[in-house]
Amino acid sequence: MMFHETTNVLGRPSAALGAILVLVAVLAFVPEAGVSSRIISLAITAAINVVVLYGLSVLFGQTGILSLGHAALVGVGAYTAAILARDFGIGFWGALPIAAVLSGLLAIVVGFPSLRVSGHHFVILTFALGQLFTIFLTNGGAFTGGATGLDLQLPTSVLGLPLDSLAAFYRLSLLFVALAAVAAWGVANSRYGRTLRAVRENEKLAGSIGISVGRQKVGAFAVSGLFAGVSGVLMAYFLRHIAPNQFASFPSIYLALMLMIGGARLLFGPLAGGILVSFLPEIFNLDPVESRILYGVCLIAVILLLPQGVVGGLAELWQRLTATRHANPAAVAPHTISEA
Amino acid sequence: MPALRIDGLRKQFGGVKALNGVDLTIGEGEILGVVGPNGSGKTTLFNVVTGLHKPTAGSVTWGGTDMTGLPAHAVSRAGIGHTFQQAMCFPGLSVLENVLIATEHHGNRRAGDYPWTTPVELLDFVGLSPLRDAVAGPLPFGSLRLLGLAMALAARPALLLLDEPGAGLNDKETAALAGLVKQLPGQGISVCVIDHDMTLMRALCPRLAVLDFGTKIADGPTAAVLADPKVLEVYLGGEL
Ligand SMILES: Nc1ncnc2c1ncn2[C@@H]1O[C@H](COP(=O)(O)OP(=O)(O)OP(=O)(O)O)[C@@H](O)[C@H]1O
Ligand SMILES: [Mg+2]
Repeated sequence: MMFHETTNVLGRPSAALGAILVLVAVLAFVPEAGVSSRIISLAITAAINVVVLYGLSVLFGQTGILSLGHAALVGVGAYTAAILARDFGIGFWGALPIAAVLSGLLAIVVGFPSLRVSGHHFVILTFALGQLFTIFLTNGGAFTGGATGLDLQLPTSVLGLPLDSLAAFYRLSLLFVALAAVAAWGVANSRYGRTLRAVRENEKLAGSIGISVGRQKVGAFAVSGLFAGVSGVLMAYFLRHIAPNQFASFPSIYLALMLMIGGARLLFGPLAGGILVSFLPEIFNLDPVESRILYGVCLIAVILLLPQGVVGGLAELWQRLTATRHANPAAVAPHTISEA
Repeated sequence: MPALRIDGLRKQFGGVKALNGVDLTIGEGEILGVVGPNGSGKTTLFNVVTGLHKPTAGSVTWGGTDMTGLPAHAVSRAGIGHTFQQAMCFPGLSVLENVLIATEHHGNRRAGDYPWTTPVELLDFVGLSPLRDAVAGPLPFGSLRLLGLAMALAARPALLLLDEPGAGLNDKETAALAGLVKQLPGQGISVCVIDHDMTLMRALCPRLAVLDFGTKIADGPTAAVLADPKVLEVYLGGEL
């Protein structure tokens, strides 16, 4: 049986978004439950990743382009935040739009080769461009802080009030998760999202009905870059110290892994993938080497068993369990033409 | 003035001269048939006109505008639509969404007088409305052909190039398709159709052009072309 993006469980697109917003609101109360600051820190890291993942869901889930260079785009956001703070005294909120735009512009550069090369070759190219970026950071002298990176001293504040507690920053991150989910949902359920899916499904046919395939691909990169830039600013203000290796190849691969595990086409996918992958080592009490092995195993398992990710797999299971109610559920997609 | 004018069109793939200097015009409101043996360059002719391939030499003029070498989406937006020899769709999306997407990029041509402006009207026209919520990928072949036609029409062409629209269809489906295509000139859409089914071509096309090894060997009223000794020789008297 084929699984489709529009399913019974998550079929109503606004229902999925509503559920996510409720979940995020509930999660905002977690610090009240006396959870350790270690867990809250992990949750912030997960949230920061989820923000990029929603951008990647536009690029990979909607447009069908896999990028292994997005950690570098997060890096652009993070370094932009740190440098703006250092050289211009521009704080968190001022850095956000500038970082988003700069990451978006670099994303266009990363995406440009997709006009000429496709498939595996392109994936490798994005990987190489990501590596190039860390080399640039490492050799950037005082401007980028070289291999040691940069510190960020400005406080994060909202309406002049400093956000100095971990719980407050956690809630700020959740706010951005919610915004990212709303934005990804907006893309998926718009004419723009349909255009991207057309490119994903059949480039030749998309061109024949008037879609400029190349422009859409590069545009999807730019959009995913905006998310990455925002994520980078959050990361810089959370970690307070950034260095090139945080934006090198492994972080990019983790992002792809999270996306694959969660599932890129369903609105719950990035959230589930970001949380699962961030918390797995904690749950199983694994050291970094063990967790890398576990990630590898998970990735293979997901690719082989759950091509739509964990969320997609669960949705399909639900579809099968309720299949008796529909003559042929696989052949019918609800005409709400959305991804949920 | 012809709607489309092709002059000295050449297309070479390595050593293969797929098109060897083809001149062809398609008039407004016309249904022109293009026939020829396998590998004679029919699909290549479409591919070069629609921007899928860049020509090696020659030009394509559309309503007085030079279209040579424009990318596929620009050709489509200028009003030249086409369907593929290999029936195509967006397989993971519903039939309705397939057509909806196709209605969204026509570049505002014929805003006032186009007969099918919504996906539902297009599905009604080709008779696919009952399948609107089905996922397109697993559709039977005949339905895919109709979906392809609906999508091509959704882009609001003034000229529609159909590459073997009848291939793989049974007699009933072919007749239904011919009925649809015949209505197009009345809606301001010229048609150029490739097919090997001579019954279909005789029924559809008052005029026929014949390609052989990338060269046009005949062009004129269908009956006359089919009686042309050069054409008969190409087909070895068999297929006609
Ligand atoms: N993309 C390509 N690369 C290389 N050669 C090609 C390409 N497309 C077509 N050809 C060659 O060009 C010639 C014409 O092919 P074309 O597909 O245009 O023929 P056709 O008339 O459409 O045939 P058919 O009736 O089988 O569809 C053939 O020799 C074919 O092998
Ligand atoms: Mg052909």
